[in-house]
Amino acid sequence: MRSTPLTDAHVAAGARMVDFHGWNMPVQYAGILDETRRVRSQVGLFDLCHMGRLEIRGKDRERLVERVFSANLGKLRLGRAKYGFLLDERGYPIDDILVYRGVDIVHIVINAGGRDDDGPWVAARAAEEGFEADVKDVSDAQAMIALQGRNSEMTLQPLCSVDLSAVKYYGFADGLVLGVPCLLARTGYTGEDGFELFFAKAYARRVWDALLASGKNLGAAPIGLGARDLLRLEAGMPLYGSEISRAIHPLEADLEFGLDLDKTGTVGIPALRAAKVKGFPRRAVSLAAKGGPVARADTELWQAGRKVGVVTSGGVSPTIERTIARALVEASAAAPGSTLEAEVRGKRYPFQVVPSPFYKRTR
Amino acid sequence: MANRPPKARYTKTHEWVLVEGDQATLGITDFAVEHLGDLVFVSLPDVGRVLKAGEVAAEVESVKAVGEVYAPLGGTVAAVNTGLAGDQAPLAKDPFGKGWLFKLKVKPGAGADLMDLATYEKQLASEAK
Repeated sequence: MRSTPLTDAHVAAGARMVDFHGWNMPVQYAGILDETRRVRSQVGLFDLCHMGRLEIRGKDRERLVERVFSANLGKLRLGRAKYGFLLDERGYPIDDILVYRGVDIVHIVINAGGRDDDGPWVAARAAEEGFEADVKDVSDAQAMIALQGRNSEMTLQPLCSVDLSAVKYYGFADGLVLGVPCLLARTGYTGEDGFELFFAKAYARRVWDALLASGKNLGAAPIGLGARDLLRLEAGMPLYGSEISRAIHPLEADLEFGLDLDKTGTVGIPALRAAKVKGFPRRAVSLAAKGGPVARADTELWQAGRKVGVVTSGGVSPTIERTIARALVEASAAAPGSTLEAEVRGKRYPFQVVPSPFYKRTR
Repeated sequence: MANRPPKARYTKTHEWVLVEGDQATLGITDFAVEHLGDLVFVSLPDVGRVLKAGEVAAEVESVKAVGEVYAPLGGTVAAVNTGLAGDQAPLAKDPFGKGWLFKLKVKPGAGADLMDLATYEKQLASEAK
């Protein structure tokens, strides 16, 4: 199993460790529900060093990104980030990514599971088109740490050279954290305000410890992957491999905001444009129930004696105090207010189709 | 450490059973509760169901996993702790008391072949290594 520069810190803090895509990662510290509440009300720290990061430079870097990125880079202002996909020719995601448009560089954050394949795939598209662009995988050279929660800015500000109040949601800036050159992005995967920091790996532990110390009186504590998954589920954010995959495309998953269907010359977009015109039989929905068992991924969903879909992610939300799930169902079963039955270990339990997302922060 | 009842018997799969006459009270141990983490759901057998020893009798689900509860001995379900369906806190806080799961009507003297507390605690110590 691979370790991050913070693995020792997690073990020393008593985290329960698991194998996540071949990485030795903390699944929980104080408990998944406690950690989820902490991020919703205060601030939490996440070790994201396992995630993949690409840097694209060179004269044709933006032409290359337009070729492989499902959203429109040209419409994105410099210093801003955008969510979207790397698509295959059929319009199915190879990965979901966050793209940061810099002055002479494009930063891309990819999933841990995409580290082996995404970089070479993007580089191959560059070679195919004869683009002058350098695709560099910096995942191993860089640390990535997120602070999420309403106290993030107050925790980070004393340590950094940038006026964080000037960094907008989904904006980013270059600056210093503890004197270390750092990309500071106001992005995240929890539905809360917060930052993601990218900097040289050697400083990971120093920055981590300093953030915990700086946020001590603001409630800062490390958060494991269990709470991370619940936070993103509450906020209606997809997990690659669950809500989207090589078998579930972004229109079905209700993620059209990550697409620009008017783009020309982007791999996979023509196929999705056609799918939008033709229609598609399945829809992503949000489900909620009061009490009952968790409807975990692959749980079958029934309506009037007929199987109408499957759960893609499920959990218990401490924020709205409901058992919640995202699911992919036939269009006929997708109307809000419909009741679907989840079959859990041989018994069926009712869930209601509810509006998405389950949780949205008030700004 | 929780107050593990010295008169109860224990299983390798972390159930406890206290036999008094022809009635057995069953639950899961503090170790099982701790291992599961945040509890979210408990499913209990129907009263009147006849359970064979070793059969799955109940489920205790946490945020991240489902724990199956095996009947350590055979018998007829005489009562279940119905309150746990809506609130799992008693099980989380007091697994040997208010967090009992169900009661069985058993043959008097049943369960004598199960582990006593000292043996169970030896097993816990070896699992911790």
